[in-house]
Amino acid sequence: MSFLAPTRVRIQKEAIVRLTRSLKGNGKITVAPGQEVSPSEIIGTAFVSAGFRTINLAHLLEVSPQDIEKYIQRTVGQRIYKGELLAFKSSFLKGKKTIVSPTDGVVDFLDLKTGELRLKFLPKKEDLPAGVYGIVETVDSQKGHVVIQTSASLIFGMFGSGRIRDGILHVVTKRDEFLQKKFISASLGEHILVAGSLIFKDVITTAISVGVSGIITGGINAKDYKGMSGGRLIFPKKTENDIGTSIVVCEGFGSVPIGEDIYELLSSFDDKFVSVDGNKGIIYLPSFQSQSLIKVKNTQLPPIQENETIQYASEGTELEEINLGQRVRIIGNSYPGVSGKIIAVDQAETLMPSGINSFMATVETKRYRLKIPVANLEIIL
Amino acid sequence: MPNKLSGLFDSFDNLDQIDINNLIAWLKPTPEPIQIENYLANKILYPQTLPLTASDMKIELAILREALRLNGPKPTDIANAMLGDNPYLNITLRKIIIPAHFLRFVPDLKSLTWAFVDGLLINRKKKDIFEDLWTVVLVSETDEVVGSVVTPEFKNKQDYVDLNILGKNLRVKAGSLTVIPCSKNRCKIAYKFANGKLLGKKEAALEISGGRLGFLIDGRNV
Repeated sequence: MSFLAPTRVRIQKEAIVRLTRSLKGNGKITVAPGQEVSPSEIIGTAFVSAGFRTINLAHLLEVSPQDIEKYIQRTVGQRIYKGELLAFKSSFLKGKKTIVSPTDGVVDFLDLKTGELRLKFLPKKEDLPAGVYGIVETVDSQKGHVVIQTSASLIFGMFGSGRIRDGILHVVTKRDEFLQKKFISASLGEHILVAGSLIFKDVITTAISVGVSGIITGGINAKDYKGMSGGRLIFPKKTENDIGTSIVVCEGFGSVPIGEDIYELLSSFDDKFVSVDGNKGIIYLPSFQSQSLIKVKNTQLPPIQENETIQYASEGTELEEINLGQRVRIIGNSYPGVSGKIIAVDQAETLMPSGINSFMATVETKRYRLKIPVANLEIIL
Repeated sequence: MPNKLSGLFDSFDNLDQIDINNLIAWLKPTPEPIQIENYLANKILYPQTLPLTASDMKIELAILREALRLNGPKPTDIANAMLGDNPYLNITLRKIIIPAHFLRFVPDLKSLTWAFVDGLLINRKKKDIFEDLWTVVLVSETDEVVGSVVTPEFKNKQDYVDLNILGKNLRVKAGSLTVIPCSKNRCKIAYKFANGKLLGKKEAALEISGGRLGFLIDGRNV
């Protein structure tokens, strides 16, 4: 008797893919289609405005709001640098009061009703490195996008959240550990973190606040995932979401260690530039070998389609016959995420403690052998 | 070759709308909500998987109860009630409809029927006395009547009904749920309540459908 099981591609090595690099604000792209690029090469420059700060001058100068114009030393639209005089008041009785600018910025707005001054931070110049070895395919100067063809290994997670983000990969924990809040520091801003078996909501919010680009985890609590995916659990996702960081969940719900296959590959990219697409649940690990350019040059990708159908990581699983020696992953709520090799498939049903009769397969992992219903297996391709 | 393996919850596409607190209410001892929420989410992710343990089967049955409650007839449906308006409960014909393939995932017919009663009938306000009696039908290519569900009207917690089924006497107390085997197609029963009623009568004899379930007397609604 033969049995069928769903298949899943978890890792695709050295595929030629398109990666989109985007400026973080208005700026200029400095490469052209057909140009070869290397990871450190600057392909564009953007000027990023980092927000504003409000200062209540009326309160600080101890004057009425409508009078602050008399004391301000800069006009609206004028640039000011940190430590320069912003406002000054001299009084016979109360003495001199000087207000200096707390940061570099531009006087953006003066509110004579409240006495507040809004200081817009000076735009910062941010260079965009290519991040990968590749060939520029298209440039969209208006949107600040550059599409680069590159060689990358792909990891297909189960699901996730968030738009495409990139950064330096940082393996923070072992594959079966929880990522704790204390591990997240400001120095991890714009990094992609590998988080182990579970991430909690407070870790995600801390990561967002320090500007972490993405988190890769084995598991997540359903409640937290619902909170970032519009309150629904639909697979594959029908809508895209973004909470300010991109998350790829590799295994399932609850505490599930990242599979050894995925963790080993991620570890080999520790400290390297990677990209994550949370909404599709895909991790791109671009090759850091310059020789990869040869393969990129010799590969012709099909043209970019307008309104291309989005392919999600959890889509397109097909059924295949279970055979001895196949690598499988245990799915469902018992032994989740455990993977191994099929060494036997029973030809008679076994009555399980749940009361269900099922055909069982014996799966050999690195540490033990398990008898699992064939319905709870997924063939790893 | 099929492109998908079937599971118990294939026909429910709104399992994520189940209120976890309602789900937990079916489980004793009370589990951690987070565990049950993750269990349900993994079930949505891998609907074809089978529960291995008895406690996992209890969770599956709790999910089934809540899924049926979500997808059963709503009070607003009554105005448009037609034959076959709900896939699990036909109010006009007073039938509980159990897809036969569910037995592959819950082989114990008694537990499966109990889940259907909990999901579809337990909070249902009866429209008339005829809703005291439901026929249980297993549906596949051919229908199989497997028994009946009787929901008597007990007056108080001390109430009881004395039954005579196929010549055997039996007392069923208010607040209990009892399954009585009767493999015949039609089973004769005579009943006499202390205070309550069945089909509007305190005392009567009638013939109800039997089968591999027999009949389930649900006296919990006191």
